Amino acid sequence: MKLQSDRILIEIFRNRFQAIADEMAVVILRTGHTVFVKETGDFGAALISESGEVFAAPVSVGVTIMVGLPMAEALRRSRLLGEDEGDVFIANDPHLTRGMATHLSDIFLWKPIFHEGKPVCYAVAFIHSSDIGGRVAGSIAPSNYEIFQEGLRIPPTKFLERGEVNREFLELFLLNVRIPEQNWGDLKALLTGLSTAERRIKDLITRYGAAAVQDRIRGVLDYAEAEARAIITRVPDGTYTFWDYMEGDQFGGGVVRIKLHLRVEGSDLHLDFSETDPQVRFAINMPTYSQRGHWMVAFGVVNWLRTTAPGITYNAGLVRPVHLHIPEGNLLNPDERAAVGVRAATMFRIADTISGALAQALPEEIPAAGSGQGSILLISTPDPATGKTRVSVVQPLAGGSGARPTKDGIDGIDFLMGYLRNIPTEVIEAEMSGVLVLGYALRQDSAGPGRWRGGTGIELELQVFPPYATITNRGMERYIFRPWGRMDGAPGEKGRTSLNPGTEREQDIGKIDVLSLEPGDVLYLATQGGGGYGNPLDRDPDRVREDVINGLVSTAQAGDVYGVIVQNGNVNEAATVRERVILRRQQLPGGAFGFGPERLAYEERWPDTLQTALNEAVAPYPVPLRSFLRDRTVRLAEARAERGEKISVRMLQELIAEVRRSLTQHRGTGGDAAQRGSC
Amino acid sequence: MGPYRLGVDIGSTFTDLVLIDESTGRPSMLKVPTTPRDPAAAVRQGVQALLAAERLAFGDVSIFVHGTTLALNTVIERSGAQVGLIVTRGYRDLLELRRLRLRDPQNFNADRPSPLVPRRLVREVSERMLADGSVYVPLNAGEVAIAARDLEAEGCTAFAICFLHAYANSSHEQMARTVVEEICPGAYVCTSHEVWPQRREYERCSAAVINTYVGGRLKSYFTRLESELRRLGLTAPLLSTKSNGGVMTARTAGERPIETVFSGPAAGVIGASYLARMIGEERVITLDMGGTSADVSVINGGYTFSTDASAGDFPIILPAIDISSIGAGGGSIAWTDAMGVLKVGPRSAGASPGPACYGQGGTEPTVTDAYVTLGIIDPDWFLGGTMPLKKGLAVDALATLGDVLGQTAQEVAWNVLQVATAKMFAQFAPLMARHGVDPRDYAILAYGGAGPTHVFMLAREVGVGKVIIPSLPGGLCALGCLVADLRADFVHTWNRKLGPASVADLAEAFRDLESQAHRWVATEDFPVAAVRYERTAEMRYAGQSFELSVPLDEIDISDILVRFHARYHAVYGYADPDAPVEVVDIRVQVVGETIKPQLQIPTREGGPALLGDRSILFEGTPMRVPVFDRKRLTAGAAFSGPAIVEQYDSTTFVPPGFRVRTDHRGNLIGEVE
Repeated sequence: MKLQSDRILIEIFRNRFQAIADEMAVVILRTGHTVFVKETGDFGAALISESGEVFAAPVSVGVTIMVGLPMAEALRRSRLLGEDEGDVFIANDPHLTRGMATHLSDIFLWKPIFHEGKPVCYAVAFIHSSDIGGRVAGSIAPSNYEIFQEGLRIPPTKFLERGEVNREFLELFLLNVRIPEQNWGDLKALLTGLSTAERRIKDLITRYGAAAVQDRIRGVLDYAEAEARAIITRVPDGTYTFWDYMEGDQFGGGVVRIKLHLRVEGSDLHLDFSETDPQVRFAINMPTYSQRGHWMVAFGVVNWLRTTAPGITYNAGLVRPVHLHIPEGNLLNPDERAAVGVRAATMFRIADTISGALAQALPEEIPAAGSGQGSILLISTPDPATGKTRVSVVQPLAGGSGARPTKDGIDGIDFLMGYLRNIPTEVIEAEMSGVLVLGYALRQDSAGPGRWRGGTGIELELQVFPPYATITNRGMERYIFRPWGRMDGAPGEKGRTSLNPGTEREQDIGKIDVLSLEPGDVLYLATQGGGGYGNPLDRDPDRVREDVINGLVSTAQAGDVYGVIVQNGNVNEAATVRERVILRRQQLPGGAFGFGPERLAYEERWPDTLQTALNEAVAPYPVPLRSFLRDRTVRLAEARAERGEKISVRMLQELIAEVRRSLTQHRGTGGDAAQRGSC
Repeated sequence: MGPYRLGVDIGSTFTDLVLIDESTGRPSMLKVPTTPRDPAAAVRQGVQALLAAERLAFGDVSIFVHGTTLALNTVIERSGAQVGLIVTRGYRDLLELRRLRLRDPQNFNADRPSPLVPRRLVREVSERMLADGSVYVPLNAGEVAIAARDLEAEGCTAFAICFLHAYANSSHEQMARTVVEEICPGAYVCTSHEVWPQRREYERCSAAVINTYVGGRLKSYFTRLESELRRLGLTAPLLSTKSNGGVMTARTAGERPIETVFSGPAAGVIGASYLARMIGEERVITLDMGGTSADVSVINGGYTFSTDASAGDFPIILPAIDISSIGAGGGSIAWTDAMGVLKVGPRSAGASPGPACYGQGGTEPTVTDAYVTLGIIDPDWFLGGTMPLKKGLAVDALATLGDVLGQTAQEVAWNVLQVATAKMFAQFAPLMARHGVDPRDYAILAYGGAGPTHVFMLAREVGVGKVIIPSLPGGLCALGCLVADLRADFVHTWNRKLGPASVADLAEAFRDLESQAHRWVATEDFPVAAVRYERTAEMRYAGQSFELSVPLDEIDISDILVRFHARYHAVYGYADPDAPVEVVDIRVQVVGETIKPQLQIPTREGGPALLGDRSILFEGTPMRVPVFDRKRLTAGAAFSGPAIVEQYDSTTFVPPGFRVRTDHRGNLIGEVE
């Protein structure tokens, strides 16, 4: 690895490129229209090298995690279409861009920036459109099972031809979406952002020359790569295996496993997800096309790099050493028909999986698992004045972050969701007549205990008076398995949802798909606490006391779990010493990870080898049949396990055969047609 | 001769004093080191020295305006009162949860700042207002009494009260205040609706808590300062500057100290804008660069205000002059990373130990060391020779980087300035985009100790063709104190759809705010030439989640809808005249225009302006650069870069490519040749 460019100019150009990327994002924010742009900042911008790598991306505005955006295929296609000065290209299809777009709601525009008839580099920008057509308003629904339900698929297409809008395309596009004016407004904002970047790059070319600019583009990429490799080299070589789960129980999918073998070889990271579960028939598939450094996977690595070196150069050089190995048909590399709308939830769990693997290599650097949920609680009520249905965001719901190796987790928010802002109760109540937010506070005793405890979860309690109110909350996770603790630390509390708590009508309702409420119903939601780090019996008694007097830990938990006896706000030291001796004797051996009883019980029934064997057994079948065989087999096996039988490879083979037989009864015996995909 | 106006600005390194003779407009200036332990000591000592030098007595001073960072420092250092907070049941974690968002969510070591009031000192009481101001649960005064007693027993000496929807109905907060005052007589008590009655419970609560946290300290500071100055013979009214660029009486400042938090930098912008207006410049970007920060603000006819400034870790939603940092100033430390790439900042040597050349123990090279090494700053002429710098230390510090980079200290120094400028550019360009400003249409007005030194290099980089260096670049904040107006802001959350019927109600709501504003001016009891009201409505299309500020300069607001649609179109490029429109907040800013002194720079001292020349290294080439004495440059004097202009409080560096002339008010005006 050598730095091509002069080391002074590197820093100057790095700053100039950064300024352009940031300015482009600011322009889009200022001129964008839809709520996603203004409120959640779900848009992005970047500068792209000729080879399709991000050489600068914003760090403070919009989506700031996109350095691993794979643009090579999109550029190949725009070159085939012919690139001219003033052209802008558009696409949203994951398949035809090989993972540049990862769901249809993100509309990408890119523009070649010319000098003397040749493109020097590219600017790209995307916006999460609030609606791109499809089965449901807003386009995204977890229950969607194929991409065609998720909106209009746009292949790489010339959107501006020498500065002129492609009217035929625009008309087709706007006819297929529910909010055409807003979408057109957002596209105009992207075009303004791209023009800004073009002007700034041209200023640089005027000052330094095109060859020098291109040389520095390569220079800053190489520089970031060198910085990343210097950090990765510190990680001991070896293979680190970890898996975690997503929860598809609402859609008949049980839990879905993301399994990673992280192979560290010198300064390269190989992320092998080949044993991750196959793609599923709901919308959590993630189309990475196994691209090197893909941003939705590399996110977990980039966060670690930026934690280790906060001022690190921020571009695709960081993810050059990150290689993905994901076979087609996998949850993380599904076929082109798979539904992908809710892939953000999957991204969070991948980050947890990478953390778990890295934690084995770097036990002193990686936090325990955070809440792992980033759901958006929506309420829809009929507007009594107009009779129309009104949908409003009540609150983004995340929980505490995982404990760090040297300090507690953060209460009430997790890094993965750390960019979100909550909505003031005073705004919610003013805008939704008849909705009262009775409480919004930290959740006592939810944090995973440890020498360093996790962050606590959040409790939200609301009372709803209008008739026909319904609640949805897409992205709820960790209601089955807990956020894991580390190094003898305990896991955090699971999520909990109940209706009318403390009354006779109290009901534990778990994850919400669509919930209808009666007037006066009280809904209570409690998010997860982050996992703990280190043995809770080693926690400084004074910290436990602080948590007790601040009300975050109950006196009971302080005694039972931490062995710290707090009386009248003071630590009873003698009693604490005694209690800790007793608890230490009773304590089961901990370990690198504290997963909690639910996951341990599940893996008692479904050990790693069995899960892998099941995936291998169904692998030869075409995608729809594979899902069907897998889901039915799991259900039948669980039923047998409930009767006391132990699930085995042989049992699974029998069950698969049984399910297949049930599908082919109408054909009589013999033949193997089903396997060739007639389903 | 006389009377005299006296402006004092307490900065982190220096306390600046400017005295203006109202009859002649002649200013005089003094800088004394700030005394952080007892800031009033430097004020007293500086005032005495300045008056003595001008052969004046305290009684000759007609107005004393004073700006202090004491409130800001109290928050940043967390050295305020032990505050107890009383909130609505269910909302104990207002301060813990904030608005959730983390400042740096990609860094696993990030933390959310711990609140000024720990969770154990927050008490919930039964009470509940609804959004329309109706009472849902009456206040349980008994619970308030218990909470106050508990908190007092825990050692709280100040109390903040924040109830939900208090902006719509403040009666519960008022009742609770009475209860707390009865139980804890003499305690500093503050309610959220008094501080800033705007919807959004976290921000309103945070404002009330900050005001309570710094209240006691600021109140006694102002009281003590006033009594000391009175004892020394001061008879003039004592005023304090405000974050919104205005002034208020010291008495009011003791009640509402939160409004002094950003007053220092705000006064600088006021001073800059006053000078710009005098020379007919409408569009100006101010650059205030000192030892610890480089701040910019945009003036486009008037100031721009922001409602999302931060004091240390906490948001302040009261309107403040919109000022953004674009870097760490002359104290920014230069270093090389593991790969040998040259970096500047974000660490700063600050005021202490300061740059290596200060000789106060700093060994790391800074931007200021680069100026000295290159010969831009004359080490023997810093602060008029009162604080000589050690060039040898600067060169040594830069030479350590030279070893890594294979360059001489001089070459490194030049590269440090290049990198520092690129970093400022990286902040500056997106910031201008956020303001919707094309910097090419603007002039930069530079002040602060390092502003004149660096501004031309920044201007070249960002494409600004015109640079203004005022005659007192080091005293602009103190000058701003003297030309500020009485200014106060009032807000009301109206939150209704706008229809033909409700326009009349809205007008009524504006009249209410204006009468509050009128009362404020009357109570301040300070002579003003004229009073005007600036009205704005925060509006949006029904169902949107963000608002647009619509200025309403006429008393008649019947065309408010037309104005909204027009403004929306101007900002977003489209408008929907048929869609229903909501008004969320309305604001009134009252301006009591003070009588401004006419600043006149005295006739220049005689003698040749050209002091000689120095050799500096510019873009890798050594060149001879003429050095001018600022106080001898007469109106009309002109020269081309490269050139250096020295004066008491700063050094101006003009690179090649700019031509500079001195205007008849003593400003240096630089333009691209």
